[in-house]
Amino acid sequence: MAVVEQVALRSGVRPAAAPAAFWTVTRLRVAAIVVIFALWEIAGSSGFFYSGVLPSSLLIFKAFVGLLLSASFWFHAGVTGFEVAAAFVIGISTGALTGLILGANRYTGAVFEPFLHYLAPTPKIVFLPILLILFGVGVGSKISLGAISCFFPMALSVAAGVRQVNPVYLRVGRTFNLTRLQTVRMIYLPALIPPIASGLRIGLGISIVGCLMSEIKLSRAGLGFSAMEYYRIFDIPSMLAVLVFIFVCAAAGNVVIDRYVRLPGPQTARA
Amino acid sequence: MTPVLRIKDVAKTFWTPNGGVRALEPISLDIRQGEFISIIGPSGCGKSTLMNIVGGLIEEYEGEVLVDGAAVRGCHKEIGMVFQEESTFPWRTAIDNVAFPLEAAGVPRHERLKRARELLKLVGLDGFEQRFPSELSGGMRQRIAIARTLAFQPRILLMDEPFAALDEQTRLLLGDKVLQIQQELNQTTMLITHNIAEAVQLSDRVLIMTFRPGRILRVVEIDLPRPRSSKLMGGEKFGQYVAAIWEDLRDEASKGLQEMEGARTG
Repeated sequence: MAVVEQVALRSGVRPAAAPAAFWTVTRLRVAAIVVIFALWEIAGSSGFFYSGVLPSSLLIFKAFVGLLLSASFWFHAGVTGFEVAAAFVIGISTGALTGLILGANRYTGAVFEPFLHYLAPTPKIVFLPILLILFGVGVGSKISLGAISCFFPMALSVAAGVRQVNPVYLRVGRTFNLTRLQTVRMIYLPALIPPIASGLRIGLGISIVGCLMSEIKLSRAGLGFSAMEYYRIFDIPSMLAVLVFIFVCAAAGNVVIDRYVRLPGPQTARA
Repeated sequence: MTPVLRIKDVAKTFWTPNGGVRALEPISLDIRQGEFISIIGPSGCGKSTLMNIVGGLIEEYEGEVLVDGAAVRGCHKEIGMVFQEESTFPWRTAIDNVAFPLEAAGVPRHERLKRARELLKLVGLDGFEQRFPSELSGGMRQRIAIARTLAFQPRILLMDEPFAALDEQTRLLLGDKVLQIQQELNQTTMLITHNIAEAVQLSDRVLIMTFRPGRILRVVEIDLPRPRSSKLMGGEKFGQYVAAIWEDLRDEASKGLQEMEGARTG
């Protein structure tokens, strides 16, 4: 839908069907959300589950407001936010660099990429004991787990991206006598934006997972720890409120990436 | 008068682990300022190899390529190339695509946009400056690619089957456009094509190449009045040229076909 809209706006001819389609889509989306809420409420009050396991959304909302007003929540949120940000920056930058090296050089790529390829899908949580020994219980081990997690998708995505740059673009660059630096800036970089964006998106999600997992396993601070604490005292509405908060933040991060890491023009929306 | 482009005994052998494949026998050719030359030949006759040598994308070869009497090797700013494949940058608008070589050459923004706008107008795309390639048809994109190469103001324009991916009608109309450009700019042009009618319609001379190893079988002077257009194609003389070229080409093309089928079955 968004694609149709954008193309229509750009070309200055708005197909008559577009606004109608927009409203249909919006209505269906709202309806889906309403249905999910309704199912949640019905399941919660049905008596099939232990009471309190699926609290009503109103209770969760109340807990959510309570969280937002408490200082300790913001402390935990700050810890997790810092960890994720650090893990993301470290993992993404090292991943991008590794991807560039692997993609640009056929031999390093052939030698090392299989390692990356097969390591990438292994759950990084298995590294946690080593990281705990290396960095101790605390921010260091959590950041490193997050960073390792998002290193892989970024490196693989960029390496594939470098190799998939359309060779005809490079020929065009050669016939125009581009310098090496110009070739990177005017051809490789824009051509790499889509793989970089997808690396960022996957990397963000996976670095959040990495940090939260280590918080849940062994930690004294952070949102993962705090959710587990609420679980321990069986304050399910607060636990769910923490999860909702994490979900909203992750989604917001994705929106930011989609919005700003993209090529100009409608072709990116289509890709 | 020195020719703009002189191809002197240019030959090429590709080396593979199994030995050499002779792609081009020595070829010599002089091209005058403003002349339009087509090279036509069966698949595998080395015409693209010749073009890549002249354009500088292949740097290892025998013989010499001279522009205005000076030998050149490697990509040269006096020689512009248009490729068969889709080559417009999808992340750039039409005007920014055309301005690309000027941007690389450090031409100030205002000036390069002005120049790009003129060229878009020349290829009949005024009004489409801010469109992205994905919003345009294949023929329009290829016109952008031509304008982009012209922006570099090459003395010699090389085109490697630029219309091969387009449908017949678009191809004819683009041929008219190319004729018009060539007349307006007095642009020296070398075109590689499979299409006999296209070669006759556009060219002053048509070079017929043999199947591998490629050499020039015959040069046909096309003595049709200019300015030309696709309307030419109904004429009797036009038909004679097409028939004569096909006569020469048929044997070579069937050799190519046999070899390919032989490779498939053998």
